[in-house]
Amino acid sequence: MAYDSASLDKPLETLKAFDWGGDVAAFEPIDAAVIAVHADPAARADLEKRLAALLTAGTSRAAKEYVCRKLSLIGTAASVPTLAALLPDTDNSHMARFALERINAAEAGAALRQALGTVQGDLKIGMISSLAGRGDTTCVPMLASLLAGDTRTAIAAADALGRIHTPEAVQALTAAGGVSDQAVAAAIVDARLACAESLLKQGKRSEATAIYKSLADAAAAGTTPAAKSTRLAAARGILACLDTTSPS
Amino acid sequence: MRLFSTQVLAIVTLACLPFSLSQTTAAADAGPPNAVQMTIDFLTRDDASLRAIGLERVRYGLKGQESTQQLAGLLPRLAPARQLELTAALSDRGDRAALPALLALLQSSSDAAVRATAVQAVGVLGGASEVPVLTKSLAAADPEKSAARRGLAVVRGAEATALITAAAKQGDAEMRSTLIDILADRRAVTALPDMVTAAVADDATVRTAAMRAIARFGGPDQVVGMVQGVLKAAAGGERDDAERALVTVCTQNPRHEQSAAIFIEQFKSADDQTREMLLPALGRVGGAGAIAIVDGLIADTNAAKRKLGLTALTKWPDATVSDRLLDLLGKAQDPDERELLLGALIRIAPLPDNKLNNQQKLELLQKTMTLCTGDEDRRRVLERANAIRLVETLRFVVPYLDDPNLAEPACLSVVELAHHRNLRDSNKEEFTKALDKVLETTKNEELVDRATRYKQGQTWERKKPAGS
Repeated sequence: MAYDSASLDKPLETLKAFDWGGDVAAFEPIDAAVIAVHADPAARADLEKRLAALLTAGTSRAAKEYVCRKLSLIGTAASVPTLAALLPDTDNSHMARFALERINAAEAGAALRQALGTVQGDLKIGMISSLAGRGDTTCVPMLASLLAGDTRTAIAAADALGRIHTPEAVQALTAAGGVSDQAVAAAIVDARLACAESLLKQGKRSEATAIYKSLADAAAAGTTPAAKSTRLAAARGILACLDTTSPS
Repeated sequence: MRLFSTQVLAIVTLACLPFSLSQTTAAADAGPPNAVQMTIDFLTRDDASLRAIGLERVRYGLKGQESTQQLAGLLPRLAPARQLELTAALSDRGDRAALPALLALLQSSSDAAVRATAVQAVGVLGGASEVPVLTKSLAAADPEKSAARRGLAVVRGAEATALITAAAKQGDAEMRSTLIDILADRRAVTALPDMVTAAVADDATVRTAAMRAIARFGGPDQVVGMVQGVLKAAAGGERDDAERALVTVCTQNPRHEQSAAIFIEQFKSADDQTREMLLPALGRVGGAGAIAIVDGLIADTNAAKRKLGLTALTKWPDATVSDRLLDLLGKAQDPDERELLLGALIRIAPLPDNKLNNQQKLELLQKTMTLCTGDEDRRRVLERANAIRLVETLRFVVPYLDDPNLAEPACLSVVELAHHRNLRDSNKEEFTKALDKVLETTKNEELVDRATRYKQGQTWERKKPAGS
């Protein structure tokens, strides 16, 4: 079906006041348009612009959620400023991140990093999660610095570094291994194991082995169940690294 | 025990035991360690978690026959409990290179559990050359015998099937019967001709196993042989089992219409005595070809032939003969004949696959009820009614709650119908009234408990039959 911008006038107007539980059938032309613009950059830009315009004040929260879902599919750098403006907004931050996490443009990552430095609490943890979801390697120093922060943020940062698993992320996690907060320490161990497993899957056996050895060394004297679990996980990992006949 | 080199031991120590950073460095500098030896070390540990890591590697890692042989070579050095673990893992690993070690274990171990696990592993990994060993284990006591049976069912290759088929032709009857069952488990189509031969063997155990096996995947080519099997079977339980096997081939297996046609031709060409023996099976097979034969017998002036026809009709697999049965019942004068026909109607009416919808089933049962002359027959009708899950069935049954002679079977049917939540919930008011009446009426404690629970919207778990 060809894209017809004029046919969206009424659905987009209806969308402004849409609330959850309302009739979504009215938006079927918008859903169809999202599919139709897939291979038409000009039409896609037009639709993106019209949708992004609905993210401004005056539209309902449900409408903003709907728009963010669509922009996650067709959004480009052009939508980033509008979405970024929603990141500090408690009600809409989550859906703005939903879109930015999926938009394939460096500007989206930059917007999330920018917000990471300004928002607090749950919103900050959300930014950490979305940056990890994007596999954003640029944010590693920021995440590394958060490992020394409050417990919840530090745990989220450790998890994110484990998901990003670049050499810099590995280094940051290794350097933070001696934290006193037990919950953060456990999250760092999990993240380092995640890094090692990822490296092993990539065939980087020596790098993975180094992490496993380091973890086993650190847990060697421990008598807690957590220490035993770490030793076992490391033993399993070392054995997997030694087994060059298997992919992982 | 020094199983392997110093550098490997350092790595193992590094991984599992308290150790220092200097050991880490030393191990890392000591050269390439050996994953197989590390796995072997894990498998010998007392720590179940470490053994699990080793067993995971046996199952999914360390590819190659050489590794398999090294891992399997550990078996003689392990305690029986550890041998069990490793044998199961080697079986899952699926590498035939473990077979020599498993066969050696089977030869040397006297531990029943180890032997059973080894036998099953030999079955999983082995082929034709392992059939004699597995067959020998069939003569052992359980659990080895059961393991051998499972092993023979999965041992690979057409040649293995041929060897099992050959073994099934000799030896004692129990062994032959077991091997025939194994061939059936293997769905050994190539063995079907030999199974047909075994269906008329001298020993009843062998005949029964052969008919049971053919029933699982036999077809038109086996029908003539199966008919001979039915004729050879001793009257009673064996004959009944043989008939069921033939009926399965003629009503359920692939190309069953063709099988049924062959059976009917066999019946037509048989002498009177043979026909008499085959009639029950003919009735169970049903269908247009069979009904013509049965109608002819029922119309015969010879009383014995008429009775044979009626008996065949009462064994019909579906309700297509219900009009005939009702008509005959309406005209029947002989009490035995009435009993036979009424029993057939009560049996057929609620059958799940009798070609009637639920409403038609209920109507047939209601008609049957009107033809009942005694309370015992009415009780049977009421007891069968609950198989028809309709609110109309409840309405049919409820009036009998007031009849002192029929109240108990009516109570049972009301409660059985109420067991089905969808039916109960969509007719809540009627069921509540009926269940109240049941609670006033029945003396059966279980029915009281069930009726109370259903009224409160609760479930009730049916007790499993003993031995299941």
